[in-house]
Amino acid sequence: MTTTTTRPVLTLRLRPWLGSMTLAISAVALVMALVWAPPDAVQGEVARVMYVHVPSAWLAYLAFVVVFIASVAWLWTRAPWTDAVAVASAEIGVLFTGLTLVQGSIWAKPTWGVWWTWEPRLLTTAAMFVMYVGYLLARGLSTDFERRATRAAVLGVVFVVDVPIVHLSVLWLNSLHQLPTVLRAGGGPSLDDRMLATLLVSVVAGTLIYAWLLSERTALELARQARILRERL
Amino acid sequence: MIVAVRRSLRRALLVAGRDLTVERRQPDGLVAALTFTVTLIFVESLAVGPVEARRPVIAAALFWIALLFAAILGATRSLERELEDDALDGILLLAGGRDALFAGKTLALAATLGIVALAGGSLALVLFDLTVALPFHLVLGVALGVIALPPVVVLDTLLALRLRARALLVPILALPVLVPQLVAATQGTAAALSGDAAASLGWSGMLLAFAIAYTGIGLTIVPAAIE
Repeated sequence: MTTTTTRPVLTLRLRPWLGSMTLAISAVALVMALVWAPPDAVQGEVARVMYVHVPSAWLAYLAFVVVFIASVAWLWTRAPWTDAVAVASAEIGVLFTGLTLVQGSIWAKPTWGVWWTWEPRLLTTAAMFVMYVGYLLARGLSTDFERRATRAAVLGVVFVVDVPIVHLSVLWLNSLHQLPTVLRAGGGPSLDDRMLATLLVSVVAGTLIYAWLLSERTALELARQARILRERL
Repeated sequence: MIVAVRRSLRRALLVAGRDLTVERRQPDGLVAALTFTVTLIFVESLAVGPVEARRPVIAAALFWIALLFAAILGATRSLERELEDDALDGILLLAGGRDALFAGKTLALAATLGIVALAGGSLALVLFDLTVALPFHLVLGVALGVIALPPVVVLDTLLALRLRARALLVPILALPVLVPQLVAATQGTAAALSGDAAASLGWSGMLLAFAIAYTGIGLTIVPAAIE
């Protein structure tokens, strides 16, 4: 039988600080993105969508990799907090994948002329979105804690294969989407220094937002698990 | 190590053989998959019209979409049969039974799907009046597509097996995961039909990689997945 414990882990004590730091760095990133960074030479002001679009996509990848790690940890240890981290990260991942698709559409309309088109990066990202919605749906269909966690963990392990597919789809297939700009093979970042700095700060801000949301949602899930255990007893 | 692998393989072949024997005696799963595939090819070709349906990429897409749904239907039917007479519990009680169940079901589904692909593919060739530029490449691509789909479908069906909503959940879980396989199979088949040997082999290689990757993931994780 699984015992549900809510140990006061370090992250819970850091939560207020994490929230303040996230807000501060997000404000800096916002000013840099809207004021300090120059407009793009070709796309003009519309390229500023990049400063939210790229961090959102990065957070989606990060969230689903964390789901994978937490899922392996659940299958290995059966520790309930790993399942709490997995569900928290999956929900955040779905949120940011959805935001990535919406922001991408907003960017595509003025640059490609369409909101949506047949494009490998768009389609694989949409598939990833549906996949993790299915993950959350599968969790909701079972009431038994251990079975649900195990089923979800297996899906979390299988679904992570899509993350590299999404990232590499622009290299494998003829793509309208631009190729990687920062992490690209055979060269450094192909961006103006101020644009690159703004993008990196935005990614750091996004990562902090993720960490903050993850710690808050995990705490909620642990409280929910504790309530279920009390009801069982 | 080799003895253990040989033993696991023998168990998997036993499960697959048992499945195929049941299917031979009472071929309701095969008939359902065949009927479904043929119906879907007809309906899809009617929907897109005769000119569009003759384009290699469209014809290939119609064929693979039909085959994908047939795979889901076949896997669901096969595992529901195990639940009906509690045969599943018997297999799970055996040493290594979970791995054997996954591998055996995957092999049996691939064999069934091979028959469906042969019949559905022949029908599509005649119905769409297609010319095959590279027959060997076409057969290779279809064969690899047929072994690339079952690991994912069987894994998802096993996961959803004890849920009432499995008919809803299996397609929702399997279809997004199978997008790359579907793209590779469609593009590879279209390339074989239109005479692009290099592209056809490239896509076939990708299908083989997916088949190996998902079989490996399935064998690693399936003992934890089956309730």
